[in-house]
Amino acid sequence: MSYFVQLVVDGLATGSIYGALALAIVLVNRSTGMINFSQGALAVLSTFVAYAVVQAGGPLLLGLVVAVAFGVVLGAVLERLVVRRFEGGDPNTAVVATIGLLVLVSGIAGAIWSYDPRAFPSLFPNETLALGGVFVSVRSLGTTAVLVAVMVALQLLFRATKLGLAMRAVADNPGSSALSGLPVSRLLMLGWGIAAGLGAVAGVLVAPQLFISPTMLDFTLVYALAAAILGGLDSPLGAVVAGWFIGVVENLAGAYVDVIGNDLKIAVPFAAMIVVLVLRPQGLFGRRTVVRV
Amino acid sequence: MAGALVRLRAARWSRPALALVVAVLLVLLPLVSSPYVNYQVTTMAVFAVALLGLNVVMGYAGQVSLGQSAFIGIGAYVAGYGTTHGWPLLLTFLLCCLLPGVVGMLVALAAARLRGLALAMVTIALPIVGTPVAKRLSDVTGGSQGLTVSWLDPPSWVALADDQWRYYVVVAIAAVVFLLTRNLVRGRVGRSFAIVRDNEAVALSMGISPYRTKVLAFTLASTIGGASGFLYLAVVQYTSPETLSFGTSINLVVAMVIGGSGSIAGAVLGAVYYVLVPVLAGQLDASRTALLSGAFLLLVLFVLPGGLVSLPRRVQQLLTRRRRRSATPSDDPGDRTGTPVLTSDGRTP
Repeated sequence: MSYFVQLVVDGLATGSIYGALALAIVLVNRSTGMINFSQGALAVLSTFVAYAVVQAGGPLLLGLVVAVAFGVVLGAVLERLVVRRFEGGDPNTAVVATIGLLVLVSGIAGAIWSYDPRAFPSLFPNETLALGGVFVSVRSLGTTAVLVAVMVALQLLFRATKLGLAMRAVADNPGSSALSGLPVSRLLMLGWGIAAGLGAVAGVLVAPQLFISPTMLDFTLVYALAAAILGGLDSPLGAVVAGWFIGVVENLAGAYVDVIGNDLKIAVPFAAMIVVLVLRPQGLFGRRTVVRV
Repeated sequence: MAGALVRLRAARWSRPALALVVAVLLVLLPLVSSPYVNYQVTTMAVFAVALLGLNVVMGYAGQVSLGQSAFIGIGAYVAGYGTTHGWPLLLTFLLCCLLPGVVGMLVALAAARLRGLALAMVTIALPIVGTPVAKRLSDVTGGSQGLTVSWLDPPSWVALADDQWRYYVVVAIAAVVFLLTRNLVRGRVGRSFAIVRDNEAVALSMGISPYRTKVLAFTLASTIGGASGFLYLAVVQYTSPETLSFGTSINLVVAMVIGGSGSIAGAVLGAVYYVLVPVLAGQLDASRTALLSGAFLLLVLFVLPGGLVSLPRRVQQLLTRRRRRSATPSDDPGDRTGTPVLTSDGRTP
């Protein structure tokens, strides 16, 4: 029994990381209506900035702040200079454009810091707590707490503030929003900026575990995309819940189902995702969109 | 008007003439060049076929696919299994097309109900899940170490070196696949792809089922991908889970867009790019390959949305615009050079 609980707790911890990046993806989707395949690469580049601050002798917390600030600026600048061109156009071209950003941004990180994984200091002490026979690392607890706080903040931003309402309006209908006097251009930049800043937080949280390298978040991104789709692309709550679900289910399936084992557990979230998409294309928590001809 | 007519007549004979020149060059090339060059050109032919398949589903039918590498991988593994078990070559080739085609069709039956991003996600699953599966089935695939084979040596009655013989086999098969696909996308099927890509509601009202059309596009793409897997093993004589990795899929999409999506010639240019860029970047600094190729993709998306294949048309367009700006406002309305009417197959009218 305690083994089972241990698996669930570990799954929740990994799921929190998937959820954090999924939140960034949902944020971009809600503010600009796009899927950003380069979300992971942007997070990695920001994390490398934190790494540079730590290397220069600064405290990690300062590194985190600088990384988030860098992420916000990077996201906003890329939206304005690159992504703007593809918004509202052919969605396939937009997907390809963000794939181009993915290749470019991780290429920049690789050219500066090379592709060898490096150790990264942890924000939380490397201790484990024994709670009723289950071992929980302080790091996992901290990561999960940060994630929940960010999710609540985002949910509040979108549901309870004028800014959030404006961002939703711009994503839904840029033309009408502009006619209503909303600063569409700035709001789009802000959406990408906040998302990239959030990605920086996720990157700094996960780097001690994965070791920092330009490809650090490649697999996490795939999981995060699966989580975002499972939860419905427009729901922060859905993204986080789906992230936890994926983390727990893949852990349990890997441990208890012999055929799956540790190497094939990545197939589990995808099988779940395909089933959900076929039965309920808008995701578990998303709202159905109606397309007008 | 007269100018356009002359151009039309010129186009009628210049295209077959160009094709003939290219064909003669392709036949003569391996006889005069080094084994290294032959190897590179053969690899280009392999990836041209892979990109052609991706083009069918993404360029012509407008459905994002991030899973093309999985079909190359399956094709290569089937070819490897067939060779090591002494199957007849023709049977192996047919199975290399058939098996990935069936896998592609099964995935498409579920996935074709989805649009855009959801579809991209389902197709991502193919390489992501395929890589550990390939490692697991080590009896067939050789696991992480991969599968090394030695086949397609020239028969005794042919006085050709290994590289030359493989070049001719691969390029000949690639040419046939290209010819068949070209005819397909220029006919009824190609028109149904185009209408489904542009507007599904219109397609439906014309009696074309978007669902069936998409499933067909995916099936064709995976079948062609499987054929390129066969060719891949013929050239490289080795395959591993790396062949069907997600990274390969991403690079294929990048190469397809750079070459020109929805264009037969674009697939060839994309393959040249796919093979040449790592070689060229490796001479400068291998760690910059990703940086260069990402920057180049974005550059192409900005200034040449039609890919490299549209470069001549784009240059012509810019020249015409400049000429018009300097000319008087009363311009000949019949002279519509540079205004693409039929772009789906990369032809200028």
